Amino acid sequence: MTETVSNSESGVSRALDLLRTANTRLVSIFGSTDSGSTGDSGVRRVHHLIDVNGREYRMLSSPVTGPIPSATEVTPAAAWYERELHDQYGIECEGHPDPRPLLFHENWPENVHPMINDVSHVPWINDDGQYRFLRVQGDGVCEVPVGPIHAGIIEPGHFRFSVVGDTVLHLELRHFYTHKGTEKLFENAPLMDGVMIAESVSGDNCFSHAVAYCQAIENALAISVPPRAQAIRLIGLELERMIAHIADVGALCGDVGFSVPAAYTARLKESLLQASTHFFGTRFWRGMAVPGGVSRDLSSAETGEFGAIVTAAARDFARMARLILHTSSVQNRFESTGILTAEIARQLAVVGPAARASGIRIDVRRDHPSGRYRNLNVDVPQYKYGDVLARARIRIDETAISTGLILETLKELPTGSVLVPVPAAGNAEALSAVESPRGELLYWVRIRDGKIARCHIKSPSFQNWPALPLAMPGNIIADFPLINKSFNLSYSGCDR
Amino acid sequence: MIGDAVERSLRSPKVLISVGELLSNAAGSRMPDVQPDLLTDEVARRVVAACPTSALKVDESAGREYLVLNYGDCIACSRCIAAGSGAFRYAERVDRCGVRKEALIRRWDIQSRAEVVPNEPSLSQAAEQIRALVGQALNIRQVDAGSCNGCEAEIVALTNPYYDLERFGIHFVASPKHADMLLVTGPVTRNMAAALKNAYDAVPSPKLVVAVGACGCSGGIFGGSHAVVGPVEAVIPVDGYIPGCPPTPSMLLTGILQVLRPLSSPWRRRRS
Repeated sequence: MTETVSNSESGVSRALDLLRTANTRLVSIFGSTDSGSTGDSGVRRVHHLIDVNGREYRMLSSPVTGPIPSATEVTPAAAWYERELHDQYGIECEGHPDPRPLLFHENWPENVHPMINDVSHVPWINDDGQYRFLRVQGDGVCEVPVGPIHAGIIEPGHFRFSVVGDTVLHLELRHFYTHKGTEKLFENAPLMDGVMIAESVSGDNCFSHAVAYCQAIENALAISVPPRAQAIRLIGLELERMIAHIADVGALCGDVGFSVPAAYTARLKESLLQASTHFFGTRFWRGMAVPGGVSRDLSSAETGEFGAIVTAAARDFARMARLILHTSSVQNRFESTGILTAEIARQLAVVGPAARASGIRIDVRRDHPSGRYRNLNVDVPQYKYGDVLARARIRIDETAISTGLILETLKELPTGSVLVPVPAAGNAEALSAVESPRGELLYWVRIRDGKIARCHIKSPSFQNWPALPLAMPGNIIADFPLINKSFNLSYSGCDR
Repeated sequence: MIGDAVERSLRSPKVLISVGELLSNAAGSRMPDVQPDLLTDEVARRVVAACPTSALKVDESAGREYLVLNYGDCIACSRCIAAGSGAFRYAERVDRCGVRKEALIRRWDIQSRAEVVPNEPSLSQAAEQIRALVGQALNIRQVDAGSCNGCEAEIVALTNPYYDLERFGIHFVASPKHADMLLVTGPVTRNMAAALKNAYDAVPSPKLVVAVGACGCSGGIFGGSHAVVGPVEAVIPVDGYIPGCPPTPSMLLTGILQVLRPLSSPWRRRRS
């Protein structure tokens, strides 16, 4: 439900009041400008998107004329959203404990806000000023800077550890090295072109992003997607989850030096990518989701073959996963490592596998179902301890659940077309949510004169990154790669 | 239980793909190829209009019209295939991987419905030197200069048991100081430009740079963004380009090998 508030102060304070009440969770805070034929052009708005009782998304949209009160005091989960709000829209959040720039580094001039200023020629600032990291002081405290370029084939980001000996006292992140101004690129894009941008937000979860974008367009234009297309989308989403979870469990083994399961799971992952190529012509389901449905159908002969490949990969993975969890050296490294407590996870509104491993049972597929998920019961596993082992177990359990959903859907694939035409669009707005492999992913679109005027992406990685440093203190620095991998967050998905 | 895991692994099927099957194989890449005998003036204009980037163009020179396909700009959206009335189809093979920039471009004479075949590709000077020094025992440092991580997912796949990059003596190394080649993905963002330049400076000479993916080759869909500097060549010199969005592991492997040693056969086959 969206509520547009005409008075800035009352709108934001109502959002903060709602966040203070029990059973609410901050989903996102983002800005927009009223533009297009109907809006009073140029007025900035702030949108507070809040989950109420785990059942309803409520959005409060307030006009902004001056500084607004910060929500960070109410919920620390707001901290990064409000820093981004300032970077993008120049909106000051009064009382924010950490108003440093987030998206832009030293090369970016102050007072240039891409969503409201002309950014065709932004000068390069040669500022030697160092970013201000939190200083941890005392006898024997050393700082260890890591990144942006890391040792493996990984995305870039900076980690600043303060350690005593091997033990981490404090970790601070500095990200947004892969910030590409993606939300700005959506402006004025034709509706059909937006999918290509969505697919390039986080490449390994590209189908989740594409479906979330398409559903937002379909919600805005009241398009009913054919049941068969909804079923194929479900298959793609669950396959993407299987592939991600299988790869993550293998990578966790690699990080504790157990290379045999790492290679084994890499083989299983590749077998699913090759099946995708064989049946859908694309390894990562790029180009499959389009507004109105999907671009390619599955013949009835193919459903059996495809199901057999998925079954085989899931069976092999389950057997290997049992062996992994019963290996004492793995238990030794996974257990009680990198604990994220339920309390901190709640304060930071953590989503996805990391939330479920810390005792917070949330899942968009069950709580805010769309498409085919409306007709299905999705099991949502949960573990309490919030350590690397719990996050590994969540992924192992969910791989089996996803396999079940795929096979169930293949068995009862609805008949009919897989694509309906998209009607000519005027002005509209809508929200859409998908449970991506990393957790709650939302797209909010505003359409003006048939084109995208604004597209906001709430990415699970943006939400979860601030929780990682709070799982580190007391652990040894050598366990950082393992703990980081157990969250497996996307840098590009966060940085956009 | 370690023994059980090893035993289970040993019983798994052999999946290694032979070099012959891998080289230039573009299955699953969604890159386009042209069926020249079906090419018409009208088809050419339709596909150019359908292309969301500038990968397809009609070029006029000396009174003749050419259809130009620049793989470096292609984001594999397949709209030309939908609009091309059979004259465009998914490429089974793409041999323009790890090539010099001009070789990313293919041209067809629209009237005579035939491809204009380029000259044999040449190696960069660094490639000649490295080949003389180390053959194909290559150390690669991968740098993500701002990618969406799609290219990373495929580069990681090179080490899985299907592709097994190490069988060629090729390794990924942790430090640029140990590297012969930088494999760079992404449009270079403003925030990564300095780190990319530092990594390049840290690689001992002679050194090779390979730009990966549509973003690495041309900036891709991010080329015009205020937060992006441009393609890899906007920051450091590039020896070879691997197109694709993302390039498949077989295209990556083809590119890495071809930077050192042009795969002469596909080029010759087309010429004959």
